[in-house]
Amino acid sequence: MAAQRNHIDRIILFVVLFLMVASTVVVYSASSTWALQKYGATSGLVNKHILKVLVGLAAIFVAMSIDYRYYKKLTKIALAACLVLLFFTLAVGGEVKGAARWLSVGGFSLQPSEAAKFALVFHLSALLAAKGAKLNDFKTGFMPLILWIGGVVLLVMLQPNFSTGAMIFVLGMVMVFVGGARLKHIVLSISALIPAALVYLVSAEYRMRRILSFIGNGDSAATPTKANYQLWQGIIGFGNGGLFGVGMGASKQRDLFLPESYGDFVFSIVGEEYGFIGTIIFMALFLTILLRGFRIAKNAPDDFGRYLAIGITSAIVIYALGNALVTLGLFPTTGLPMPFVSYGGSAIVFSSFAIGVLLNISSQTDLHPRQAKEMANAPPVIINEPAVGKMY
Amino acid sequence: MAGFEEQERAGAAGEVQRVQQSHSPGRLLTVKTLLLLGFLAAALRLIQIQILDSNKYQAIARKQYEVRILLPSTRGNIYDRQGSILVSNSMFFSYAADPKIVGDGANAVAKRFSRVFGKPEQIYLQKLESEKRFVWLERHVNPEIAKRLQANTLEGVAELNEPKRLYHYDNIGGQVIGCTNTDNVGISGIEFSRDAQLRGRDGFVVMQRDGMGRKRPSADYPRQDPVHGHSIGLTIDVRYQSIVEDELKKGVDRTTAIAGLAVILNPSTGEVLAMSHYPSLNPYNVGQTDIQTLRARAVSDMYEPGSVFKIVTASAALENKLVEPTQMFFAEHGKYKVPLNRGKFRLITDTHESGNITFQQGMELSSNIVMAKVSDIIGAERLYTQARDFGFGMPTGIELSGEASGELKKPVEWSGATLNSIAYGYEIAATPLQIAAAYCAVANDGVLMKPYVISKEMDENGEIIHSGRPEKIRRVISEETARTLKDFFIGVVERGTGQLARIPGITIAGKTGTSRKFVDGKYETGSYNASFVGFFPAEKPEIVCLVILENPKTGGYTGAMASAPIFKAIAQQIINNNGLFSKTAIAKNDEKEDRPLATVPNVSHIQRDIAEGILENSGLRVSVLGDGDIVYRQIPEAGKKVLRGESVQLILNQSNAAAVNGAIAVPDLRGMSVRRAINRLTAEKLDVAVVGSGVVVHHYPWANEFAAPGTKVTLICEPRPLASAQLY
Repeated sequence: MAAQRNHIDRIILFVVLFLMVASTVVVYSASSTWALQKYGATSGLVNKHILKVLVGLAAIFVAMSIDYRYYKKLTKIALAACLVLLFFTLAVGGEVKGAARWLSVGGFSLQPSEAAKFALVFHLSALLAAKGAKLNDFKTGFMPLILWIGGVVLLVMLQPNFSTGAMIFVLGMVMVFVGGARLKHIVLSISALIPAALVYLVSAEYRMRRILSFIGNGDSAATPTKANYQLWQGIIGFGNGGLFGVGMGASKQRDLFLPESYGDFVFSIVGEEYGFIGTIIFMALFLTILLRGFRIAKNAPDDFGRYLAIGITSAIVIYALGNALVTLGLFPTTGLPMPFVSYGGSAIVFSSFAIGVLLNISSQTDLHPRQAKEMANAPPVIINEPAVGKMY
Repeated sequence: MAGFEEQERAGAAGEVQRVQQSHSPGRLLTVKTLLLLGFLAAALRLIQIQILDSNKYQAIARKQYEVRILLPSTRGNIYDRQGSILVSNSMFFSYAADPKIVGDGANAVAKRFSRVFGKPEQIYLQKLESEKRFVWLERHVNPEIAKRLQANTLEGVAELNEPKRLYHYDNIGGQVIGCTNTDNVGISGIEFSRDAQLRGRDGFVVMQRDGMGRKRPSADYPRQDPVHGHSIGLTIDVRYQSIVEDELKKGVDRTTAIAGLAVILNPSTGEVLAMSHYPSLNPYNVGQTDIQTLRARAVSDMYEPGSVFKIVTASAALENKLVEPTQMFFAEHGKYKVPLNRGKFRLITDTHESGNITFQQGMELSSNIVMAKVSDIIGAERLYTQARDFGFGMPTGIELSGEASGELKKPVEWSGATLNSIAYGYEIAATPLQIAAAYCAVANDGVLMKPYVISKEMDENGEIIHSGRPEKIRRVISEETARTLKDFFIGVVERGTGQLARIPGITIAGKTGTSRKFVDGKYETGSYNASFVGFFPAEKPEIVCLVILENPKTGGYTGAMASAPIFKAIAQQIINNNGLFSKTAIAKNDEKEDRPLATVPNVSHIQRDIAEGILENSGLRVSVLGDGDIVYRQIPEAGKKVLRGESVQLILNQSNAAAVNGAIAVPDLRGMSVRRAINRLTAEKLDVAVVGSGVVVHHYPWANEFAAPGTKVTLICEPRPLASAQLY
């Protein structure tokens, strides 16, 4: 294990732990009626969720203690494996709501797209760190990156899972953007995708309907229609909570009014039970992850760590923000879970693992500016001698 | 392209510097800023939804998860003067569905309903395709059928209790009692005019509902119990009413009249004992009844009464002592030319051509000419005042809606001919009830009583909260004049135009009247209203009865020929009806409400003799259905308040299909063709009445109810739905 030059970012750890604990409470309330309906017990769904949260917790602590550099050599093979899995899922995966998104492995169902998302982040980080200035060259620098991104996005979209594919694409673009790719290349690759995306959108009726229902109403949730029923119910949930919320476990929308109240629309239940205070706190928690995560990136000891920190942070925050904007009717309805909060299969485990990696990076950053400043102000003797000794 | 590559290469070279710079926080800051903007947008939107608009959404949410369930009040009963229940309620079930919840279950729901109700599945499937969240699938289903449906096993289908009016005597007194619409709101008769009292006030309970529409009670939510409707006791005597209905129908059939009506009043109190209209109103089939039939025309319609109005002329002449009964008048041999202005003449004719006759004979023979001459003596002002005093030209104030006031013009509006016309009942319009009330005044020694039809109103506990009392309006004529007039009217029946109303052994007083129908501004040829109004026993009148036929054709169109025989038949029935008559004679109005109420004790599941003892001790009579020692059911059920002396039906344990004691269990006729149903009922020795045609959709009494042999089972039929045609 590499020497730790700093303690791990406790704030991120606390934020994530808080989110995971809160999620069990929220998911329990949000899923109780649905679980009663489906399994005859209110705890039918939250039990599974708690199991995953526990696995996630373990993943955080495991990943935290593994030097992130260790993954550098594995990224390519991991991503390739994920692509195979994605392909395999397309071929044999179980259908969920009309899409092949899940792969069942020994009774434990797995969302390969979630794994692929983080594998892509890892591999892009490795590539970006390795290429450095060569990124400017389209063929040798940019092309390989965009091919990996395109490969993952294509396979995910074919599932078909448009929203996740789009989010992975955005994530990939953020990484190559931050990695210093030429803007011209980025713009070029995005514009090349637009016609394909349009064809893809129009190809499925439900996607068209969602988009149209979104565009059709300036305020997409202003008028309830069949197409935006779920969104409308989600908005009602937020509104019903008001400033202080209706109280823990008192949600009405979860009583079979709001579909997926414990999944993609769990944020609405947060809003209903804990009010504006609750939603703002949740938003603030993800904002904290963003700020702390990017700070870790800035202070990362090497480029791989830096890109990895940016990628992981972005993956979590873009999803969280995207989920919030969707449930608030500011983005077209898609199927995005809120990381750590939504009930949802393997995503929470992968996200936890990624956070563990981020925390490992944080433990290897340079000193925090404040600490550095303290040290700078201290007598020089102390800087040289006990500075190392102080490390743990 | 070469240029492009060159440019690319040159660019690449110059970019090295910038790539190094990309390690600088510039691009990261851009990403961070964009994400922060996203957070800002989310926060602003949260403020909008959760703070600014939260009231709106809270209201929407409440509407979704709170459901107010109506606790319907029970509509009050309607009783006749003897306390017989004319109208009560029966619980029916109605079925509604939420198509959204039914969803894929639509086929199963349609199939079940189709099987039970015998209608094609398509009907239900169409309803279930609705975008609405609430559609009626079936309404007013009797509990037996409801049991077969087992709606609770159907997701998204709700079973609602809906009370439906039960008219125990079917169409008897239909127009007076009135009826309610599908929503149980009174639309005619007493049901309409006393709707507010009968209806009571619905209660409600608020329940919580989930997204599937399932409800659960919640203690925190408000509840308001219903206030049940008041019951109304009528002055109508159902026995008189049925006599009148029967005889009127026979009379209308015999004379092939368009319609007919008859009213019986108690002259000393003004109580309406019977009020019947033909064609009669079937309260179960209001939808197909034309508005004409719905009205209580005795109250709502006015007509030119003709000769029956001579009561006013004679009263005015006698009361003002202007003419003696024996005074002679020249009846002009049936043709009297009355000179009008500018040398014009008006011809007044009599059906009985006479020479010199007395005033009394003029009445007895109903001479228009004599009355015209008498009216010249009386003068306009006195004749008008007399008519007014009798109550013409203003509503009687009876408790039925839509009462007409009649038309009595003031003398200043009269033309030269009006005085003479009014003298024999033209140029004036009156309601049949006004005519009957006027004869009541004569029968009542000159005192006009206000006619009324509601004897009492009772609240849900049976407490009388309002009593109808006889109301004296005014003395119209002196007792002496009344006596003289009675002699006149006795003479009419003994010697004059009303001889067809004569009944040996009892003195009948009466007056005939035949008036031309005034249709579309002119008198229609060959179209008459034939009236007969009379009272008996003339010495001490107890019954005043008016019969009017509209346009009788066969066997004479006059009141004398067409209506008098109906009066006679009614009177005869009333008199012959074993003790009924004298009973009524004794029944003083003040005593009639003094039957105290009794609470029905619970005698179910105990031995028959014990049950009988208990009921007798409670002042209730007992009627037993079936065989056995144990009472397994009682009607009315325990706790109900009924009038003392009413009978409680006990159904014994062995009273199954074909009950002993002569009672017959009515078979389930639903879905049968009319012919098949009639055959079945005839075989069971039951009588049949059919409403509509096609397939039986309802019948009263219901399946498995017990009925005495000869009981009329009313079949409500609807045209046969095509798909179920092969069922029978």
